[in-house]
Amino acid sequence: MHVVIINGSPRVQKYSNTEKIIASFTKGLSEKGVSFEAYAISNRKSWEMIRDAYIKNEEILIALPLYVECVPGLLLEFLETLPKKDEHTRLSFLLQSGFAEGCQLRCGEEFLSKLPGYLGVRYGGCLVKGDNFGIRVLDEEKQKQVTKPYQAMGELFAEGDGFFREEAKKFTGPEYLSLPMRLLMQFAFKTFQKKIFQKVAASWGCNTPLDYKVLGN
Amino acid sequence: MILMIDTTREHVGKQISEELLYSGGNPTKIELIDTTGMRISHCVGCNYCWLKTPGICAIKDDYEPILKKMARADQVWLISDTHFGFVSYQTKNIVDRVMPLATMYLKIKDGQMRHVMRYDHQPDFGIIYTGEGDQAYLERWCGRTALNFGSSSLGVFSVENRKEAVSCML
Repeated sequence: MHVVIINGSPRVQKYSNTEKIIASFTKGLSEKGVSFEAYAISNRKSWEMIRDAYIKNEEILIALPLYVECVPGLLLEFLETLPKKDEHTRLSFLLQSGFAEGCQLRCGEEFLSKLPGYLGVRYGGCLVKGDNFGIRVLDEEKQKQVTKPYQAMGELFAEGDGFFREEAKKFTGPEYLSLPMRLLMQFAFKTFQKKIFQKVAASWGCNTPLDYKVLGN
Repeated sequence: MILMIDTTREHVGKQISEELLYSGGNPTKIELIDTTGMRISHCVGCNYCWLKTPGICAIKDDYEPILKKMARADQVWLISDTHFGFVSYQTKNIVDRVMPLATMYLKIKDGQMRHVMRYDHQPDFGIIYTGEGDQAYLERWCGRTALNFGSSSLGVFSVENRKEAVSCML
């Protein structure tokens, strides 16, 4: 198997959470002897090359962050430029988001499950997982730690069943947060998490309150 | 205020706003933005609007005045062509860049995580589309999008059924 992996995030690769996830996922592929070539759409100059790889290969994986319940606008623009292919090509997805619960990604997943039909290709399933917003602000070692579970998913994908196996479905984690967890998070959101966010903002050179009303009330 | 944002190639928004006026819509409370010729980038996910310059998008293009109007509007109608049964990328870009209206802060609402909105007033969202839209999916997406911004969906209408949409604007 040889996989073409397309990072569908509009964010520059250096700061892309999806890129870090791909790095861990491809480790799993390599472990199982599967080769890959990886691209990122954030740089428009590479679009021609990515299209070419999409046309010439039959195993395609698009990894993407959820943007307002669906695919990011830039990825949508890129997808509109792809030619129709046939069912020899399999298109799978790795969908990640900031919100933690599985239910938050289902609307995006539905779009992705239908997309291969529009492109004439076969659907290889969608790996769904949230709670990834923080990757960007972690140091390199912690980034590796939190993206580590994706390596096992790379190994699973290498076995050839796309993301249809039970292990891939379980990878999402809870569909909804349990009541005790919600209460705990609610407490965290109202107290120390605001301070953590403000601290991150300060490290970016921001001293404005994060809920500042720029346009007045 | 009713704000229509038209990204369609056929400029169908003009006809819809005329029909709204003809049906008795208040001309001082209707605004149509045709994005033809405007420079509107996609969201680049830099997070500046949440963590560096709260409420302000880092991209300086023709989007800023649209965002300001959206913040004040009671209804935002996205008038869009469709591709893959979904809205066009031009319309998706407009929605992706609404992020400055939300804050980084989180809350739990109706059992799910949500961002705390920056302003007290939120516009409701509706869609009018041309072409082969996936009606059921667009309804789901519009509903979820509105939920994220603490508002409600006004519904999804094909351009052929625009009269129904117009009746929601009166």
